[in-house]
Amino acid sequence: MTEHALDIQQVRKSFSGHVAVRNLSLQVPRGSVYGLLGPNGAGKTTTIRMILDIIEPDSGTITVLGASSLRGRVGNRLGYLPEERGLYKKMQVRRVLRFLAELKGVSRRDADQRIERWLSRLSLTGQDRDWGNARVDELSRGMQQKVQFIGALLHEPDLIILDEPFSGLDPINAQALKDIVVDLRREGRTIIFSTHLMDNAERLCDAVCIIARGEKVLDGAIAAVKDEHGGRHVALALGEDRTAADAVAAVLGDRELVKRLDDSNRTVELELAPAASAQLLLRRLLDAGAVVERFELVQPSLHRIFLDRVGAAGVEPGMGGDG
Amino acid sequence: MDKLIAVIKREYFERVRSKWFLLSTILGPFFFGVIFIVPMVISARMHSSPDLSHIVILDATGTQLGNRVARTLAGGITGEASRADVRAVTPSTLAAAESTATREVMRVNDPMLGYLVLDSATIAGTAERYAGRNASTLVDVKELEDAVRRSLLAQRLEQEGLDTARIRSLTAVHLEMKSERLTERGREVGGLASAIFSYVIAFVLYMMLMLYGQQILRGVMEEKTSRVAEVVIASVSSDTLLAGKVIGVGAASLTQIVAWALSTAAVYRMRGPILSSFGVGSMSIPMPHLGLVAGVLLLLFFVLGFIFYAALFAAMGSTVSNEQDVQQASMPIMLMLVASIVFVQPILLDPTSTFSKVMSWLPFSAPILMPLRMTLVQIRWYELTATLVGLLAGCVFVTWLAARIYRVGMLMYGKRPTFREMARWVRRAA
Repeated sequence: MTEHALDIQQVRKSFSGHVAVRNLSLQVPRGSVYGLLGPNGAGKTTTIRMILDIIEPDSGTITVLGASSLRGRVGNRLGYLPEERGLYKKMQVRRVLRFLAELKGVSRRDADQRIERWLSRLSLTGQDRDWGNARVDELSRGMQQKVQFIGALLHEPDLIILDEPFSGLDPINAQALKDIVVDLRREGRTIIFSTHLMDNAERLCDAVCIIARGEKVLDGAIAAVKDEHGGRHVALALGEDRTAADAVAAVLGDRELVKRLDDSNRTVELELAPAASAQLLLRRLLDAGAVVERFELVQPSLHRIFLDRVGAAGVEPGMGGDG
Repeated sequence: MDKLIAVIKREYFERVRSKWFLLSTILGPFFFGVIFIVPMVISARMHSSPDLSHIVILDATGTQLGNRVARTLAGGITGEASRADVRAVTPSTLAAAESTATREVMRVNDPMLGYLVLDSATIAGTAERYAGRNASTLVDVKELEDAVRRSLLAQRLEQEGLDTARIRSLTAVHLEMKSERLTERGREVGGLASAIFSYVIAFVLYMMLMLYGQQILRGVMEEKTSRVAEVVIASVSSDTLLAGKVIGVGAASLTQIVAWALSTAAVYRMRGPILSSFGVGSMSIPMPHLGLVAGVLLLLFFVLGFIFYAALFAAMGSTVSNEQDVQQASMPIMLMLVASIVFVQPILLDPTSTFSKVMSWLPFSAPILMPLRMTLVQIRWYELTATLVGLLAGCVFVTWLAARIYRVGMLMYGKRPTFREMARWVRRAA
């Protein structure tokens, strides 16, 4: 048994002249939650499709659960939730799930038992209605996503790949999904998910890989990534005091003190200038009449690191910064 | 193998369970019943107006010819003559009687169809006159003419001293033309019936290939646009998915054909009561006997034809991403299918011409046109074998091509590829 659930070495893929993935190498430790982060068009989905053997890389090697080819049994140990959800719209939910399980070699009896368990766990069967008997297109988007998620897990895979699992989910369903991811990790399974939501990644992932324009920008365990990024960061929250607003703005705008500032309205994350100290900044703020509600020395957030390292240059033309 | 079966099962049961399938399977026999029964009802109508004896006969001959014609029209001496209104007139009152009869016939509600004038010219065997609402119906006029001729003949024979029974037996001539088709292979019994049968078979094959082919195309497009394809292809190879689809949908269409064949056979057996409920006497429709070998051959042609067209439809389905492109994508395949069905007529007329032969050999038209020729004329075994081998080769080539287009097309979104691009996919995948 190898140490890595997934080992990608020097993989390259291009589509009619456009290079989607460029010499990408990464290792995903077994039993970890791994985040594949990057803006839209960065090559996340292409990478995932190559891992799943849906498309072949032009060069390089991909080793999944110790096997270099998914032909045979290894394919049955993989679970996949695609970015754009795909279910047969006219089919009954239970039948779709049974079909997806059968495709992974699960016997009908096992499949039926697991389907019931999952439907009830994700509240798709209950007092009001048994959604298992409904047609897929009768379900709300969130429910369809839950069904899709069940479909990716029915065969109890060792490696689970979730492409943008949280997009389009309300907070309750997103929490339910996160709980399941944590449980799966506890059971020793490996979860790889791609996302552009840094908050989710920061809370869930043991390790991440940030890619942009088909290239790896950085990878490693979250703590290591943060240490490596360095910088002294302060999370700051100020009370409402209009009279001091200008003076406070002048302090925060002082480049001798603050190297960079990320204003999220209620809280501000800032990086101290090399010569400045946190003490000095706090004193200057108080002198300016600021009402300080929070002043905390923090590690840079993944969000900050992402912005620093990928920047506007990492975003494909025409692809908004939301990716 | 298990995965292939899973795909086949899904394709088969999702189709068989659908309302469309259920409805068309149940309504199919009615449809075929209509195809069989309506022409019979129409042709029965064409024989003659059922109440042809509802006419006025103006008899100015001074003999009993009028009554005799009335009896003949009603079906001979045993028939009741009362439906025809025979009026004995003299040559001088004939004109007045005619205008009365004209007025009567022209009344819309009057049951009388028209009036027949018998006079000295009729006795001389030269002329009779008829005026009526059905005077333009050729069969009716022909039948009236025939009835007068037979009655006149009978009357003349009676005058010559022959007894009634003898006359009846001499004049009872009801000729019916039975057509037979002569070919170089000999006599084909029931030429017309076998042509209809062949036509129905060709038409059903065409219909099934078209309907189910379109279903496959749409199914593939839906799988692609709803992104199910991605989930499925992450578990099975695209070749398995394609094969499962063709086999599953093919099995569903075969199920429907078998259901139709059985219920049509039942309708055929019960045609007596059904036809009589339409007021048409049961007639024997000589159904060509379909032997076991011919049945197996038909099945073989259907199965191979289905694979040929289903693979093409699936490949084309994988190249489209929206409803607007469907028409365009299916056009080339539809052209091949339509080219097969439009040549049914010329082949029915002359199944042994070089053109007919060549059309029934080509892989794309063989699935429809060879079964058609097979039911029309005897095909030599080597010709059948060669056609089947050719079709099989066609199937192998087409599925090879389709699998390659499908593999790439399923994961390509956006603009529909040109044929040149598709050719590149095929080359690259090979």
